[in-house]
Amino acid sequence: MKLTRKLLWLGLVLSLMLGSSPVSAQSKRTATKSQPKISVAAIDADGLVAVLKRGATNNKPLLVNFWATWCDPCREEFPDLVKIDKQYRPQGLDFTAVSIDDLSEIETTVPQFLREMQVTVPTYLLNVSDPELAMSKVDPQWSGALPATFLYDAQGQLVYKRLGRIKVPELTEAIEKLLRSSESKVSSSGFAVSGSK
Amino acid sequence: MKKNLISTLLVTSILFACAIVAVSGRPAEGDIPLPPAIGATIADFTLPDANGKEHSLASLAGKNGSVLIFIAVQCPVSNAYNERMEKLAQDYKAKGINVIGINSNVAESADAVKAHAAEKHLTFTILKDAGNKVADRLGASVTPQAYFIDASNKLLYLGRIDNSKSAEGVTSSELRDALDATLAGKPITKTTANAFGCTIKRA
Repeated sequence: MKLTRKLLWLGLVLSLMLGSSPVSAQSKRTATKSQPKISVAAIDADGLVAVLKRGATNNKPLLVNFWATWCDPCREEFPDLVKIDKQYRPQGLDFTAVSIDDLSEIETTVPQFLREMQVTVPTYLLNVSDPELAMSKVDPQWSGALPATFLYDAQGQLVYKRLGRIKVPELTEAIEKLLRSSESKVSSSGFAVSGSK
Repeated sequence: MKKNLISTLLVTSILFACAIVAVSGRPAEGDIPLPPAIGATIADFTLPDANGKEHSLASLAGKNGSVLIFIAVQCPVSNAYNERMEKLAQDYKAKGINVIGINSNVAESADAVKAHAAEKHLTFTILKDAGNKVADRLGASVTPQAYFIDASNKLLYLGRIDNSKSAEGVTSSELRDALDATLAGKPITKTTANAFGCTIKRA
Protein backbone atom coordinates (compact mmCIF):
# COMPACT_ATOMS: atom_id res chain seq x y z
CA MET A 1 0.00 0.00 0.00
CA LYS A 2 2.83 2.29 0.99
CA LEU A 3 4.58 1.39 -2.25
CA THR A 4 1.47 2.15 -4.29
CA ARG A 5 1.13 5.56 -2.60
CA LYS A 6 4.80 6.28 -3.25
CA LEU A 7 4.38 5.33 -6.92
CA LEU A 8 1.31 7.55 -7.18
CA TRP A 9 3.25 10.50 -5.73
CA LEU A 10 6.15 9.80 -8.08
CA GLY A 11 3.77 9.65 -11.03
CA LEU A 12 2.17 12.93 -9.99
CA VAL A 13 5.54 14.66 -9.64
CA LEU A 14 6.74 13.29 -12.98
CA SER A 15 3.57 14.29 -14.76
CA LEU A 16 3.84 17.79 -13.30
CA MET A 17 7.47 18.02 -14.40
CA LEU A 18 6.75 16.75 -17.90
CA GLY A 19 3.64 18.82 -18.13
CA SER A 20 5.41 21.96 -17.05
CA SER A 21 8.17 21.74 -19.66
CA PRO A 22 6.09 22.68 -22.69
CA VAL A 23 4.47 25.44 -20.65
CA SER A 24 7.83 27.00 -19.81
CA ALA A 25 9.06 26.58 -23.37
CA GLN A 26 5.90 28.21 -24.59
CA SER A 27 6.33 31.10 -22.19
CA LYS A 28 9.95 31.46 -23.34
CA ARG A 29 8.77 31.57 -26.93
CA THR A 30 6.20 34.19 -26.02
CA ALA A 31 8.82 36.24 -24.20
CA THR A 32 11.20 36.18 -27.14
CA LYS A 33 8.52 36.83 -29.73
CA SER A 34 8.79 40.58 -29.31
CA GLN A 35 12.60 40.38 -29.21
CA PRO A 36 13.65 37.83 -31.82
CA LYS A 37 16.74 35.84 -30.91
CA ILE A 38 19.73 36.89 -32.98
CA SER A 39 22.15 34.10 -33.61
CA VAL A 40 25.70 35.13 -34.48
CA ALA A 41 27.92 32.32 -35.72
CA ALA A 42 31.67 32.41 -35.10
CA ILE A 43 33.68 31.71 -38.24
CA ASP A 44 37.37 31.40 -39.05
CA ALA A 45 39.09 32.31 -42.34
CA ASP A 46 37.81 29.14 -44.04
CA GLY A 47 34.33 29.85 -42.74
CA LEU A 48 34.53 33.33 -44.20
CA VAL A 49 35.53 31.92 -47.58
CA ALA A 50 32.53 29.57 -47.40
CA VAL A 51 30.26 32.54 -46.63
CA LEU A 52 31.63 34.45 -49.61
CA LYS A 53 31.56 31.51 -52.01
CA ARG A 54 28.27 30.06 -50.75
CA GLY A 55 26.77 26.92 -52.15
CA ALA A 56 26.80 25.98 -55.81
CA THR A 57 23.01 26.36 -55.84
CA ASN A 58 23.05 29.95 -54.66
CA ASN A 59 23.34 32.20 -57.66
CA LYS A 60 22.42 35.51 -56.08
CA PRO A 61 24.61 38.60 -55.83
CA LEU A 62 25.94 39.09 -52.30
CA LEU A 63 26.50 42.24 -50.24
CA VAL A 64 28.89 41.77 -47.29
CA ASN A 65 29.48 44.35 -44.59
CA PHE A 66 32.35 44.12 -42.09
CA TRP A 67 31.67 46.02 -38.91
CA ALA A 68 32.32 46.19 -35.18
CA THR A 69 30.37 47.51 -32.22
CA TRP A 70 33.30 49.80 -31.33
CA CYS A 71 33.30 51.34 -34.80
CA ASP A 72 31.13 54.47 -34.83
CA PRO A 73 30.77 54.83 -38.61
CA CYS A 74 29.85 51.12 -38.75
CA ARG A 75 27.02 51.69 -36.30
CA GLU A 76 25.95 54.86 -38.07
CA GLU A 77 25.68 53.26 -41.49
CA PHE A 78 23.94 50.07 -40.35
CA PRO A 79 20.36 51.40 -40.58
CA ASP A 80 21.04 52.26 -44.23
CA LEU A 81 22.30 48.75 -44.87
CA VAL A 82 19.17 47.29 -43.28
CA LYS A 83 17.03 49.50 -45.53
CA ILE A 84 19.05 48.43 -48.58
CA ASP A 85 18.57 44.78 -47.59
CA LYS A 86 14.80 45.27 -47.27
CA GLN A 87 14.64 47.05 -50.61
CA TYR A 88 16.79 44.70 -52.68
CA ARG A 89 16.35 41.27 -51.05
CA PRO A 90 13.03 40.77 -52.89
CA GLN A 91 14.92 41.57 -56.11
CA GLY A 92 17.46 38.82 -55.50
CA LEU A 93 20.24 40.35 -53.39
CA ASP A 94 21.69 38.50 -50.42
CA PHE A 95 23.14 40.47 -47.54
CA THR A 96 25.32 39.30 -44.70
CA ALA A 97 27.11 41.10 -41.88
CA VAL A 98 30.43 40.01 -40.43
CA SER A 99 31.44 41.42 -37.07
CA ILE A 100 35.09 41.60 -36.14
CA ASP A 101 34.37 42.14 -32.46
CA ASP A 102 36.06 39.98 -29.85
CA LEU A 103 34.65 36.50 -29.42
CA SER A 104 33.69 37.42 -25.86
CA GLU A 105 31.03 39.70 -27.32
CA ILE A 106 29.30 37.11 -29.49
CA GLU A 107 26.42 36.73 -27.05
CA THR A 108 26.33 40.26 -25.67
CA THR A 109 26.99 43.52 -27.50
CA VAL A 110 27.00 42.05 -31.01
CA PRO A 111 23.52 40.44 -30.99
CA GLN A 112 22.25 43.32 -28.88
CA PHE A 113 23.17 45.81 -31.59
CA LEU A 114 21.85 43.59 -34.37
CA ARG A 115 18.57 43.21 -32.46
CA GLU A 116 18.32 47.00 -32.17
CA MET A 117 18.85 47.21 -35.91
CA GLN A 118 16.18 44.52 -36.45
CA VAL A 119 18.58 42.50 -38.53
CA THR A 120 17.14 39.29 -39.91
CA VAL A 121 19.99 38.20 -42.20
CA PRO A 122 22.73 35.67 -41.39
CA THR A 123 25.33 37.28 -39.20
CA TYR A 124 28.81 36.11 -38.29
CA LEU A 125 31.70 37.01 -36.03
CA LEU A 126 35.18 36.57 -37.44
CA ASN A 127 37.21 34.69 -34.85
CA VAL A 128 40.83 34.57 -35.97
CA SER A 129 44.06 35.12 -34.10
CA ASP A 130 45.63 36.76 -37.14
CA PRO A 131 43.18 38.71 -39.31
CA GLU A 132 45.48 39.04 -42.31
CA LEU A 133 44.63 35.74 -43.99
CA ALA A 134 40.89 36.38 -43.71
CA MET A 135 41.30 39.92 -45.03
CA SER A 136 43.30 38.74 -48.01
CA LYS A 137 40.52 36.29 -48.88
CA VAL A 138 38.11 39.21 -49.14
CA ASP A 139 40.38 41.69 -50.91
CA PRO A 140 44.19 41.55 -50.95
CA GLN A 141 44.30 45.36 -51.09
CA TRP A 142 42.16 45.80 -47.98
CA SER A 143 44.20 47.59 -45.30
CA GLY A 144 41.75 46.57 -42.58
CA ALA A 145 39.87 49.88 -42.41
CA LEU A 146 36.36 49.55 -41.03
CA PRO A 147 33.58 49.71 -41.99
CA ALA A 148 34.13 47.87 -45.24
CA THR A 149 31.44 46.83 -47.68
CA PHE A 150 31.90 44.47 -50.60
CA LEU A 151 29.49 43.54 -53.38
CA TYR A 152 29.93 40.26 -55.22
CA ASP A 153 28.16 39.13 -58.36
CA ALA A 154 26.41 35.78 -58.66
CA GLN A 155 29.68 34.15 -59.73
CA GLY A 156 31.46 35.38 -56.60
CA GLN A 157 33.47 38.10 -58.36
CA LEU A 158 34.03 41.32 -56.42
CA VAL A 159 32.30 44.09 -58.37
CA TYR A 160 32.22 46.96 -55.87
CA LYS A 161 33.86 47.87 -52.58
CA ARG A 162 33.67 50.74 -50.17
CA LEU A 163 36.15 51.28 -47.35
CA GLY A 164 34.70 53.67 -44.82
CA ARG A 165 31.10 54.68 -44.41
CA ILE A 166 28.88 53.74 -47.34
CA LYS A 167 27.42 56.30 -49.69
CA VAL A 168 23.88 55.09 -50.20
CA PRO A 169 23.33 56.46 -53.74
CA GLU A 170 26.67 55.03 -54.88
CA LEU A 171 25.98 51.61 -53.34
CA THR A 172 22.42 51.39 -54.60
CA GLU A 173 23.60 52.33 -58.08
CA ALA A 174 26.15 49.49 -57.96
CA ILE A 175 23.48 47.05 -56.70
CA GLU A 176 20.97 48.06 -59.34
CA LYS A 177 23.57 47.78 -62.08
CA LEU A 178 24.48 44.32 -60.82
CA LEU A 179 20.87 43.19 -60.52
CA ARG A 180 20.13 44.46 -64.03
CA SER A 181 23.13 42.59 -65.39
CA SER A 182 22.08 39.43 -63.48
CA GLU A 183 18.59 39.71 -64.93
CA SER A 184 19.89 40.09 -68.46
CA LYS A 185 22.19 37.10 -67.96
CA VAL A 186 19.30 35.01 -66.65
CA SER A 187 17.03 36.06 -69.50
CA SER A 188 19.72 35.55 -72.12
CA SER A 189 20.61 32.11 -70.71
CA GLY A 190 16.87 31.34 -70.63
CA PHE A 191 16.60 32.27 -74.28
CA ALA A 192 19.60 30.12 -75.15
CA VAL A 193 18.09 27.12 -73.35
CA SER A 194 14.72 27.50 -74.98
CA GLY A 195 16.42 28.14 -78.31
CA SER A 196 18.45 24.95 -78.06
CA LYS A 197 15.40 22.81 -77.66
CA MET B 1 17.76 79.32 -78.02
CA LYS B 2 17.11 79.14 -74.26
CA LYS B 3 17.56 75.35 -74.48
CA ASN B 4 20.92 75.78 -76.18
CA LEU B 5 22.05 78.21 -73.49
CA ILE B 6 21.10 75.80 -70.70
CA SER B 7 22.89 72.93 -72.46
CA THR B 8 26.00 75.05 -72.94
CA LEU B 9 26.00 76.09 -69.27
CA LEU B 10 25.52 72.50 -68.17
CA VAL B 11 28.39 71.18 -70.32
CA THR B 12 30.63 74.05 -69.18
CA SER B 13 29.86 73.31 -65.51
CA ILE B 14 30.67 69.63 -65.95
CA LEU B 15 33.93 70.44 -67.77
CA PHE B 16 34.82 72.97 -65.07
CA ALA B 17 34.17 70.43 -62.29
CA CYS B 18 36.32 67.84 -64.11
CA ALA B 19 39.09 70.41 -64.53
CA ILE B 20 39.07 71.19 -60.79
CA VAL B 21 39.41 67.49 -59.93
CA ALA B 22 42.19 67.06 -62.51
CA VAL B 23 44.14 70.11 -61.30
CA SER B 24 43.77 69.40 -57.58
CA GLY B 25 44.61 65.72 -58.04
CA ARG B 26 42.20 64.92 -55.20
CA PRO B 27 40.69 61.49 -55.41
CA ALA B 28 36.95 61.11 -55.24
CA GLU B 29 35.73 61.42 -51.66
CA GLY B 30 36.17 58.17 -49.79
CA ASP B 31 38.62 56.78 -52.32
CA ILE B 32 41.97 56.25 -50.69
CA PRO B 33 45.15 56.54 -52.75
CA LEU B 34 47.33 53.46 -52.80
CA PRO B 35 50.37 53.57 -50.51
CA PRO B 36 53.87 53.76 -51.99
CA ALA B 37 55.56 50.49 -52.83
CA ILE B 38 58.09 49.00 -50.43
CA GLY B 39 61.45 50.46 -51.43
CA ALA B 40 59.96 53.77 -52.59
CA THR B 41 61.41 56.97 -51.17
CA ILE B 42 59.11 59.10 -49.04
CA ALA B 43 59.52 62.78 -49.85
CA ASP B 44 60.15 65.12 -46.92
CA PHE B 45 57.11 66.94 -45.56
CA THR B 46 56.35 69.51 -42.89
CA LEU B 47 53.45 69.39 -40.46
CA PRO B 48 52.62 71.18 -37.21
CA ASP B 49 52.51 69.37 -33.89
CA ALA B 50 49.57 69.76 -31.51
CA ASN B 51 51.03 73.06 -30.27
CA GLY B 52 51.25 74.44 -33.78
CA LYS B 53 55.05 74.14 -34.04
CA GLU B 54 56.14 73.08 -37.51
CA HIS B 55 58.37 70.02 -37.95
CA SER B 56 59.85 68.55 -41.09
CA LEU B 57 60.20 64.80 -41.35
CA ALA B 58 63.96 65.34 -41.71
CA SER B 59 64.12 67.23 -38.43
CA LEU B 60 62.37 64.44 -36.51
CA ALA B 61 64.04 61.44 -38.16
CA GLY B 62 66.34 59.17 -36.18
CA LYS B 63 69.83 58.39 -37.43
CA ASN B 64 68.71 54.84 -38.27
CA GLY B 65 65.26 55.71 -39.50
CA SER B 66 61.77 56.63 -38.39
CA VAL B 67 58.45 54.97 -37.71
CA LEU B 68 55.44 57.02 -38.79
CA ILE B 69 52.26 55.80 -37.14
CA PHE B 70 48.86 57.13 -38.11
CA ILE B 71 46.94 57.29 -34.86
CA ALA B 72 43.62 58.57 -33.58
CA VAL B 73 42.12 60.08 -30.48
CA GLN B 74 38.82 58.20 -30.53
CA CYS B 75 39.56 54.95 -32.36
CA PRO B 76 39.40 52.07 -29.88
CA VAL B 77 41.93 50.05 -31.87
CA SER B 78 44.46 52.89 -31.95
CA ASN B 79 43.85 53.47 -28.26
CA ALA B 80 44.43 49.79 -27.53
CA TYR B 81 47.96 50.35 -28.85
CA ASN B 82 48.81 53.47 -26.81
CA GLU B 83 51.04 51.68 -24.31
CA ARG B 84 52.64 49.53 -26.99
CA MET B 85 53.38 52.57 -29.18
CA GLU B 86 54.91 54.46 -26.27
CA LYS B 87 57.02 51.43 -25.35
CA LEU B 88 58.11 51.10 -28.97
CA ALA B 89 59.16 54.77 -29.00
CA GLN B 90 61.13 54.36 -25.78
CA ASP B 91 62.75 51.08 -26.82
CA TYR B 92 64.00 52.29 -30.20
CA LYS B 93 64.87 55.92 -29.45
CA ALA B 94 68.21 54.84 -28.02
CA LYS B 95 68.75 52.68 -31.10
CA GLY B 96 68.41 55.66 -33.44
CA ILE B 97 64.86 55.07 -34.66
CA ASN B 98 62.31 57.74 -33.80
CA VAL B 99 58.57 57.16 -33.58
CA ILE B 100 56.41 59.96 -35.01
CA GLY B 101 52.65 59.95 -34.61
CA ILE B 102 50.40 61.51 -37.23
CA ASN B 103 46.76 62.36 -36.66
CA SER B 104 44.91 62.88 -39.95
CA ASN B 105 41.36 62.55 -38.67
CA VAL B 106 39.39 65.60 -39.73
CA ALA B 107 37.14 65.38 -36.68
CA GLU B 108 40.02 65.44 -34.17
CA SER B 109 41.41 68.90 -33.47
CA ALA B 110 44.98 69.76 -32.46
CA ASP B 111 43.68 70.49 -28.96
CA ALA B 112 42.07 67.06 -28.78
CA VAL B 113 45.33 65.47 -29.96
CA LYS B 114 47.27 67.37 -27.30
CA ALA B 115 44.85 66.43 -24.51
CA HIS B 116 44.79 62.80 -25.62
CA ALA B 117 48.59 62.55 -25.71
CA ALA B 118 48.80 64.00 -22.20
CA GLU B 119 46.09 61.71 -20.86
CA LYS B 120 47.59 58.58 -22.42
CA HIS B 121 51.20 59.54 -21.61
CA LEU B 122 52.34 59.54 -25.22
CA THR B 123 55.70 61.29 -25.26
CA PHE B 124 56.66 60.91 -28.92
CA THR B 125 55.95 63.79 -31.31
CA ILE B 126 52.47 63.77 -32.79
CA LEU B 127 51.83 65.82 -35.91
CA LYS B 128 48.46 67.14 -36.96
CA ASP B 129 47.79 66.43 -40.61
CA ALA B 130 44.94 68.85 -41.28
CA GLY B 131 43.62 68.27 -44.78
CA ASN B 132 45.17 64.78 -44.66
CA LYS B 133 47.79 65.68 -47.26
CA VAL B 134 50.37 63.32 -45.75
CA ALA B 135 47.78 60.56 -45.26
CA ASP B 136 46.90 60.92 -48.95
CA ARG B 137 50.53 60.95 -50.01
CA LEU B 138 51.25 57.81 -48.00
CA GLY B 139 47.94 56.11 -48.81
CA ALA B 140 47.16 55.75 -45.13
CA SER B 141 43.65 54.48 -44.58
CA VAL B 142 43.42 53.07 -41.09
CA THR B 143 44.51 53.70 -37.51
CA PRO B 144 46.88 52.50 -36.31
CA GLN B 145 48.98 52.07 -39.44
CA ALA B 146 52.79 52.13 -39.36
CA TYR B 147 55.40 53.10 -41.95
CA PHE B 148 59.03 52.28 -41.21
CA ILE B 149 61.49 54.28 -43.29
CA ASP B 150 65.25 54.11 -43.14
CA ALA B 151 67.64 57.07 -42.74
CA SER B 152 67.31 57.89 -46.44
CA ASN B 153 63.49 57.81 -46.25
CA LYS B 154 63.20 54.48 -48.08
CA LEU B 155 60.02 52.64 -47.12
CA LEU B 156 60.98 49.31 -45.54
CA TYR B 157 57.79 48.18 -43.80
CA LEU B 158 54.13 49.16 -44.01
CA GLY B 159 51.17 47.97 -42.01
CA ARG B 160 50.21 46.83 -38.55
CA ILE B 161 52.16 47.06 -35.33
CA ASP B 162 51.35 43.46 -34.43
CA ASN B 163 48.62 40.91 -34.99
CA SER B 164 46.31 41.61 -32.07
CA LYS B 165 44.28 44.54 -30.77
CA SER B 166 44.56 42.97 -27.35
CA ALA B 167 48.11 42.99 -25.96
CA GLU B 168 47.55 39.51 -24.48
CA GLY B 169 46.78 38.06 -27.91
CA VAL B 170 49.99 39.17 -29.62
CA THR B 171 51.76 36.29 -31.31
CA SER B 172 53.60 38.20 -34.02
CA SER B 173 55.13 41.68 -33.91
CA GLU B 174 55.89 42.51 -37.51
CA LEU B 175 56.90 46.14 -36.92
CA ARG B 176 59.40 45.30 -34.19
CA ASP B 177 60.70 42.41 -36.30
CA ALA B 178 61.28 44.85 -39.18
CA LEU B 179 63.11 47.31 -36.93
CA ASP B 180 65.26 44.61 -35.34
CA ALA B 181 66.15 43.06 -38.69
CA THR B 182 67.19 46.43 -40.11
CA LEU B 183 69.26 47.30 -37.05
CA ALA B 184 70.97 43.91 -37.34
CA GLY B 185 71.66 44.52 -41.03
CA LYS B 186 69.38 41.67 -42.06
CA PRO B 187 66.56 41.65 -44.64
CA ILE B 188 63.02 42.13 -43.35
CA THR B 189 61.08 38.87 -43.59
CA LYS B 190 57.64 40.43 -43.80
CA THR B 191 57.47 43.91 -45.33
CA THR B 192 53.69 44.37 -45.14
CA ALA B 193 50.99 43.08 -42.80
CA ASN B 194 47.45 44.26 -42.22
CA ALA B 195 45.04 44.34 -39.32
CA PHE B 196 41.59 45.73 -38.65
CA GLY B 197 41.34 49.32 -37.50
CA CYS B 198 39.34 52.52 -37.83
CA THR B 199 39.08 54.33 -41.13
CA ILE B 200 40.88 57.68 -41.19
CA LYS B 201 38.18 60.31 -41.51
CA ARG B 202 39.30 62.63 -44.29
CA ALA B 203 38.47 66.27 -44.93
